[in-house]
Amino acid sequence: MPQLPATDAPALPHPDLVAAIPRLRRYARVLTGDAARADDLVQDTLARAWEKRRLWQTGSDLRAWLFTIMHNVHINQLALARRDAANVSLDADPGNPSWQLPVRANQLDRVELLEVVQQIGRLPPDQREVLLLAAVEELRYEEIASILSIPMGTVMSRLSRARDKLRRLIDEPASTLRVVK
Amino acid sequence: MNTGSQMPISDTDVHAYVDGQLAPGRVVRLEASLATDPGLAARISEMRAQNATLRDALDAVLSEPIPEELLAAATAPDTRASLSRRWLAPLFAVAASLVVGVGLGWFGRDALIERTGTPTTFARQAAFAHALYAADVNRPVEIWANEEKRLVTWLTKRLGFGVHAPDLNGLGYALVGGRLVAGNEKPTALFMYENADKERLSLQVRRQAPGTGETAFRYAAENGVGVFYWIDDACGYAISGNVDRAQLLKIAHVVYGQLAAAEASAPK
Repeated sequence: MPQLPATDAPALPHPDLVAAIPRLRRYARVLTGDAARADDLVQDTLARAWEKRRLWQTGSDLRAWLFTIMHNVHINQLALARRDAANVSLDADPGNPSWQLPVRANQLDRVELLEVVQQIGRLPPDQREVLLLAAVEELRYEEIASILSIPMGTVMSRLSRARDKLRRLIDEPASTLRVVK
Repeated sequence: MNTGSQMPISDTDVHAYVDGQLAPGRVVRLEASLATDPGLAARISEMRAQNATLRDALDAVLSEPIPEELLAAATAPDTRASLSRRWLAPLFAVAASLVVGVGLGWFGRDALIERTGTPTTFARQAAFAHALYAADVNRPVEIWANEEKRLVTWLTKRLGFGVHAPDLNGLGYALVGGRLVAGNEKPTALFMYENADKERLSLQVRRQAPGTGETAFRYAAENGVGVFYWIDDACGYAISGNVDRAQLLKIAHVVYGQLAAAEASAPK
């Protein structure tokens, strides 16, 4: 990959970049549903951020910018993976991830949390993204619209549908994913 | 949801309230409605509980240690380059001491060839990398075998083609882990194995340059490091270790058989 000349390209603030990694990993894990693929996605996102560093406006929210890059990298990778589906042999189908998200082991209500995590994976990806960015990453709706390149109205309708659907999934009686301690 | 005041509370306002981004003026109005609308109050409390549960379930990721690759990726690429240049000198010193330690003639000649810029053959590179990393007791690999899946995903990505670590447990060698090694042009994947006597083997895999279509097993041994290598389907494989030729050939056959089987079953 060609690198931009170091002289006129602004440097990204390294401490802020490092500080953003845990949240990028968390979001990536929800996007991919797999710890290893999530870290690969974070790595690709950081690499892309350095390539595109000219596009970052000093002083603007670095985290929102990184989420935007991650969203785009992920979308592109999914498209490539779908196109090359026949050649992808080492991992599960990226469009249908097996969920391996961690849950704190010492939680009293671990069963409930585990189930919630499983159910997040059953949300449609576009709803999942909006819900996670709003509820977990606590980003403003305008930022979410900008990250995902969608209108505000779409953010709100996806958020509303995601919340309803997740509630229904969790309330479903005799859920197939219910775990016995 | 109408409180009897001028305007109904919109769905958007309810979400914004739950997510803490409703304008202060509207918060007052919404909270006034809560007192008289139990349905709204229940809905909001449920949404808040859902938010809290989501955070609770996913916060665990935040406290995980950050992998070194990600920390490296956060560093400016130009800084990374100068860092690696700075690290090159000590690395050569380590390599040089190994040259002496491992046993001279061949490695010394090889170092000379490298200095004059002649590309080193695969077998020599394999022996050199094996001598360098197998001697490192604490850090022979970059990713340990307990994260084999991550290791394989990473190496596959860096090499640009699918690799996996053959299972040599049947021969008494357990996977230690793996790393990436610089090659003449393309990077090489290195898998390290160890037996109960702490003897180590390494399997190295790389993409061959076009036009090198040999397939026969070849053997090279210099000062105790034996290397069996072969080229198959545009990939070069080298298995290196401080074991005798017969033992190494046996290992090489097992590795070859497993790779062939994996290839036959992989979707094309």
